[in-house]
Amino acid sequence: MNKLPLIFLGVFLTFASSWIGLVAYPYLSLGKMQPLPDEETGGYLPPAQSGLAVAGQKAYAANGCVYCHSQQVRLAPLSTDIAKGLGPRQTVARDYIREQPAFLGTMRTGPDLSNIGVRQPDANWHHKHLYEPKTVTDWSVMPSFRYLYKMQKIQGQPSDDAVKGLSGPHAPAPGYEVVPTEEAKALVAYLISLKRNFPLPESPEPPAK
Amino acid sequence: MKSHSLLSSLNPSTEPDTLASHERAEIDASTRFPVLLFFGSAIFWLVVGSVLGLISAWKMTHPSLLDGAAWLTFGRLRPAHLNAVIYGWASAAGIGVGIWLMARLCRVVLLHSKLLITAAVFWNLGVLVGILGILAGDSRSIEWLEFPGYATPILFVAYAFISIWTIIMFRYRRPGHVYVSQWYLFAAFLWFPWLYATANILLIWQPIQGSAQGAVNWWFAHNVLGLWFTPIGLASAYYMIPKVIGRPIHSYYLSILGFWSLALFYSWNGMHHLIGGPFPAWMVSASVVASIMMFIPVITVAINHHMTMRGHFEALKWSPTLRFTVFGAMTYTLVSLQGSSMAIPSWNTFIHFTDHTIGHAHLGLYGFFTMIMFGAMYYIIPRLVGWEWPSATMIRWHFWLAATGILLMVGSLTIGGILQGLAFYDPIATFRTSLEYATPFRIVRGISGFVLLAAHVIFAILFTQMILKIGQKREGPALFAKAETKEAVTV
Amino acid sequence: MSNQTPPPDEGFKENELSSDMNVAQVHGSIMREQAEPRDGYEPVPLWLITVFFCIVFWSGLYLAFNSGGFRADVFDPKLVAWAGGGAAVETGPPDPMVVGKRLFTQNCVVCHQTTGLGVAGQFPPLAGSEWVVGGDWHGDNHLVKILLQGLQGPIQVKGNTYNNAMPPWKQLKDEQIAAILTYIRAEWGNAAPPITPEFVKQIRDETAQRSDPWTQQELQAIPAAKVPAADAAPAAPAGTAPPAGGAPSPAAPAAAPAA
Repeated sequence: MNKLPLIFLGVFLTFASSWIGLVAYPYLSLGKMQPLPDEETGGYLPPAQSGLAVAGQKAYAANGCVYCHSQQVRLAPLSTDIAKGLGPRQTVARDYIREQPAFLGTMRTGPDLSNIGVRQPDANWHHKHLYEPKTVTDWSVMPSFRYLYKMQKIQGQPSDDAVKGLSGPHAPAPGYEVVPTEEAKALVAYLISLKRNFPLPESPEPPAK
Repeated sequence: MKSHSLLSSLNPSTEPDTLASHERAEIDASTRFPVLLFFGSAIFWLVVGSVLGLISAWKMTHPSLLDGAAWLTFGRLRPAHLNAVIYGWASAAGIGVGIWLMARLCRVVLLHSKLLITAAVFWNLGVLVGILGILAGDSRSIEWLEFPGYATPILFVAYAFISIWTIIMFRYRRPGHVYVSQWYLFAAFLWFPWLYATANILLIWQPIQGSAQGAVNWWFAHNVLGLWFTPIGLASAYYMIPKVIGRPIHSYYLSILGFWSLALFYSWNGMHHLIGGPFPAWMVSASVVASIMMFIPVITVAINHHMTMRGHFEALKWSPTLRFTVFGAMTYTLVSLQGSSMAIPSWNTFIHFTDHTIGHAHLGLYGFFTMIMFGAMYYIIPRLVGWEWPSATMIRWHFWLAATGILLMVGSLTIGGILQGLAFYDPIATFRTSLEYATPFRIVRGISGFVLLAAHVIFAILFTQMILKIGQKREGPALFAKAETKEAVTV
Repeated sequence: MSNQTPPPDEGFKENELSSDMNVAQVHGSIMREQAEPRDGYEPVPLWLITVFFCIVFWSGLYLAFNSGGFRADVFDPKLVAWAGGGAAVETGPPDPMVVGKRLFTQNCVVCHQTTGLGVAGQFPPLAGSEWVVGGDWHGDNHLVKILLQGLQGPIQVKGNTYNNAMPPWKQLKDEQIAAILTYIRAEWGNAAPPITPEFVKQIRDETAQRSDPWTQQELQAIPAAKVPAADAAPAAPAGTAPPAGGAPSPAAPAAAPAA
């Protein structure tokens, strides 16, 4: 019986040490971070997301995008992320305060998406890509998300929403169109909102070489 | 006879802790139903998880495979696989093994088995609901914590019952020396619910914002490896190795050093999953340091096991338990040293975000933990059902398919991952290049999935035969080969 | 350490067994077991202790040099901020190409496009444009003036006519205008020297009175000026006659009270 309190105490304290360092401390120092005012636009950094983009985060989580795509730009010389155009600067804690959860990711089966909204600002490109990735990038291993879209008969005029320029095995037959569901629209709104190219005090744009 | 001072815990008693055979039989009988319930559930989820993993693996190289339906998309199948093997197979197997070890080592008949049976039912329910939830689109996309909010409380209740049971068992143990496996099990069964509760509260119920979530997420996930699976695996190895060969563990002092250094350093490792990530520099550096400090408990345990085995390696020829266990224990050393090296930032540069990490994860959870669980089950199950394993040939197939499968998987992903990482780092190489490097190795990995699934199906058949007592009745244990001497047959 | 011998065969008492397992089977698998595991007492090897302390020492050094002073706002492990000193991040002014690209993407792509090719018939291209890189009558001062006050009326760009209205951007700071212009002058195959913030300030001061957008005619009347080379003596103090700067008077006819 005398051993039980000793082992219990040791087991508790060793665990508590990392709980304090890796859980409690980040909670206190980073967990209540606020966006900063942006003089240039009068808005905030990071910029507020539209409601549709916030809904898009749920679609991103539900479909497991994070298992192939990271959202982290690392510094040199640890990496060549910046040199390869993933972003102009390192991403820092403040960049993720509007995300729930923060989709940092741990795999790059597909490219990093921290600044995909800068590289691909066009919604129709994203819809084409999600519908059938191989038609946009023929060597892609990304699966098709066509279950987020509806194939429907064109009633009179094509819908404004209809995805343009589709090709490949699931392209709509003449007289038919492919229309994104609300989930697809939200997901694309979220993807287009992914821009971490503004400077922050703790991560300014890099100096001229 | 026994002093009760603090020093006495460092000055071990010399009282022999033997159990008479009828006592062992009584204890085993009392553990029978809960342990077999956990084992049966675990093996079920092992097969389910293996199928989910196999399909996910092939989707990575053949993305049009089964790509029409939402519930079969890679982004849902992959977390379903992860959770099925972690919570369905590995945790349930670990709990089953832990219960039996705890009962034997505390040398008392199992108390409150209803608590454990309830826990088993809740456990399976939680895992089932969770996996269906993920496939339905309610995954949280928080790694190792994807179960939706309606599944996690069910699991938490199960964990809580198991924790309570552990404290009671330990409290009412027969007085005497506390063996190292008991420390590890006691610690694991207490640490896990705290980890699970903290992670659920801070990531799901009252989430903290921003990248701090990544810190809590990987503190949790890495601790599931280090403070839940590793202690249970080591507890089993520390029991099975000396038990089968009939020798004491080499050094009690090394056991102490190994246990407490694991407890202190392991839990600080979490941030090494996020090197270069959006975190204050000191947090990442603390994890790098802790990852290197892990060298101490790992080498300590390796010395302890090796020196115990020294001169008795020929037992590996005939004992299934020992073969699986020693494979696992050696893999523990290997995977931990690999992990420490992966945490060094200049090497991390070439392996972060690549398949190398996936290879490492499987080497640990399968090569170390799962193999040790197989070894323990081969020992425990005959004692619970009163039947010997009907076919040594099938056990042999199980072992070689598992060993080959994991070596194929880990070997291919380790090399492929490094090539992928080199392409990531090369400023001229495109993303396409990294994919082209990785793909052939992913195909080998996909093949290994078939090999592993075959191993698991064989094991499931063997387990079913044991439960139903079908198959060839035998006198004496099922062994890989004839044991050298009569005395050696102690499995 | 010696081998444990199996415990002696004990006569079991059937009523002590609480299950209905086959007694002979139970007896067999349990009887053949070795004793429960126990501990040996070999000492911890000295080399292991030594290695332990070496690792601890290394760890201390690593933490000292890679923890950014344990600050919550330092994300770069290479920034060594010793206790009591060091700013959060100490770097030079940001790369104008990076800033310029960001601001261009934010403000200019709507018309001039990410490709810098503009829209035929509507918005002039910047790629290969003589207005941007300087050619013919075009000077750096003209480019800055366009950004500050805007442009209107018909213009000739690369042999094509455009007639649209470019709004003024004088609300942007000098560094920002300089960054945007530096960016467009070095992107899409353009290769012209950067514009400096000081030059922008100078032009801004000169044109402080002007509020109307420029026309091509007006600009053509102003002699071209280039950004002074970096090693040249500082230009005559701002406010006095700028070197070959545009004299405001030819623009006077168009000058009107702020609209």
